[in-house]
Amino acid sequence: MSKGDQMANILVIDDEKDVRVVLKEVLRRAGHDVTLAANGREGLEKLAADGADVVVTDVIMPGTNGVAMVQQIREAHPDMPIIVISGGGNVAPMDYEPGAISTSAYLASATIAGANRTLTKPFERQALVDAVQELLAE
Amino acid sequence: MAKRLTTLSSRLVLIVLLIHAVLLPVLFLALSAVVKQNMADSFIDHARVQGRLLADGLELELDKSQSILVAHLDSAILGGRIVYATLQHGDDEITNSLMVSSDLTLFNEDFEFGEHGDQTYYLSLPIISATDMAMLHLGFDESLTQGDFENVQRSIVLIIVAYLLIVIVAMISLSATMTRPLNWLQRASRTIASGEYDRKLETDSNLLEIHNLTQDLERMRRNLVKVNARLRHAQRLESLGTLAGGVAHEFNNVLQPLLLYTDLALEDLPDDSPVVENMERILALANRAKGLSQQILTFGHIDEDAALEEQPFSPVVEEAIIMIRALLPATVDFRVEISAQVGLVRCDPTQIQQLVVNLCNNAYQALTTGDTHINVTLSRRSVDADLAARHPNLRAGEYVVLGVADTGRGMDAETIERIYEPFFTTQTVGEGTGLGLSVVHGIVRRHDGEILLTSEVGKGTQFQIYLPLVSSAGHNKHEQR
Repeated sequence: MSKGDQMANILVIDDEKDVRVVLKEVLRRAGHDVTLAANGREGLEKLAADGADVVVTDVIMPGTNGVAMVQQIREAHPDMPIIVISGGGNVAPMDYEPGAISTSAYLASATIAGANRTLTKPFERQALVDAVQELLAE
Repeated sequence: MAKRLTTLSSRLVLIVLLIHAVLLPVLFLALSAVVKQNMADSFIDHARVQGRLLADGLELELDKSQSILVAHLDSAILGGRIVYATLQHGDDEITNSLMVSSDLTLFNEDFEFGEHGDQTYYLSLPIISATDMAMLHLGFDESLTQGDFENVQRSIVLIIVAYLLIVIVAMISLSATMTRPLNWLQRASRTIASGEYDRKLETDSNLLEIHNLTQDLERMRRNLVKVNARLRHAQRLESLGTLAGGVAHEFNNVLQPLLLYTDLALEDLPDDSPVVENMERILALANRAKGLSQQILTFGHIDEDAALEEQPFSPVVEEAIIMIRALLPATVDFRVEISAQVGLVRCDPTQIQQLVVNLCNNAYQALTTGDTHINVTLSRRSVDADLAARHPNLRAGEYVVLGVADTGRGMDAETIERIYEPFFTTQTVGEGTGLGLSVVHGIVRRHDGEILLTSEVGKGTQFQIYLPLVSSAGHNKHEQR
């Protein structure tokens, strides 16, 4: 950590275990405490139970409407910094009907729902660390 | 019945019947009148000649006894056609004694055949000799000639009826001949409308209208085949883009931990560790994979964050040309003709530069040894309605046209059909990614443009990228569809 950087409790929500774990390690090395959740429901429960300074969440996860989840967090915690992340590309819409929605559309929706920052996977390690610091400093 | 009369053949037959229904009675009446006049003239001439001969005979016999005169008149009666003969000589009235008809009492002179309606033609002839004079009254039988005339009338009716039958049969046959190619065309059009485009439209009819109609329909069919092929091609690329986007999404989820773990591991390793070099190679490969994933997304024009902005187009292309000159070997004959100010285009400069680089790289890969070159041009062009009709992504209006031509190997139709598919490549395995032209396609689509491609095996390939020009006032110059 460089001088002036703040330490924070960060909740990371991602359905991909490898992504969750590596993000935890990246944030831990940046000096933060990290709690992990594997889906939206677990994330909301942990947020309600333990709270967090920053939420980093995937926006496309099986069984979770990421955009609605961001909206719920924003309603419950109006000042909570939220960073949404998503793998670039496109995915079938939530109801699995034919067609595909690009992840940029999801990220845009999440921003409207209240996300403060968006990151498209694969992003650089520093990009996440900087985003967290910027939000903590605001 | 009403429905049947809507067909061309039934209408033709009906029209011909109506025309004949008016014309044939007129023809019948005219013919009858002419024939009747001729027969009457002939009858009267004949009667006058016969009467004159009788009168001449009697002239020499006027001084003879009454019985001799009666014998003369009787012989005339026996000669046929004359039904009575009376000679007025002074106060005497000498009449034939044979075949006397009681109702013939009038000596009126007839002026026409058939006058008085009594089947008799009256004729009076003066007999004047040097010493004497008399008047001969004759009656000629009109019934035989009348009978002949009725027979002729019946013949005319029979001829007209026969003619009418022949006309009807001929019309049915003619209309069938005329409508046969039309019916065939109708069936063929229905086949095409049902989605079978392969049936060629042709006719053996030598009627100009049908020949022209067939040619027009055949031209429409060929256009339909082309448009359909283009549509299928676009749909295939669309679905490939969607598929590729889905793959890229999963791929990025894998790449994320791969990149970060490698980065973290490198941080943990002492600088002199023998593992560092390999870890750095892994990181470089992961970054290359990241680049590939981004190219796939460009093809599907997915996840583009940068907004398109109006800017002068020539400098954007010129910058790309500088890059390409640095990349291409100095031996390559690289010719550039760029109009300095083609105008404003709504574009993403990074993507346009990538497009130019990819096209030039593609041209370079196609070059063979010998007298070959790459030619890059940039100019503006008006797209007319005709060109727009042939290319669904073009609209009538002003465009900039970026041309990249090479005199290399060229491509066959099968290759052209597939060149925009991701990972399709004609290069040896390992030489190219097969993404270059897929990316070009994605960029052009995102910029609302069109690619026109001509290529000939052994002669070379020319790409023309049409991108819509923006007017100086900032309004798009293209017709809205």
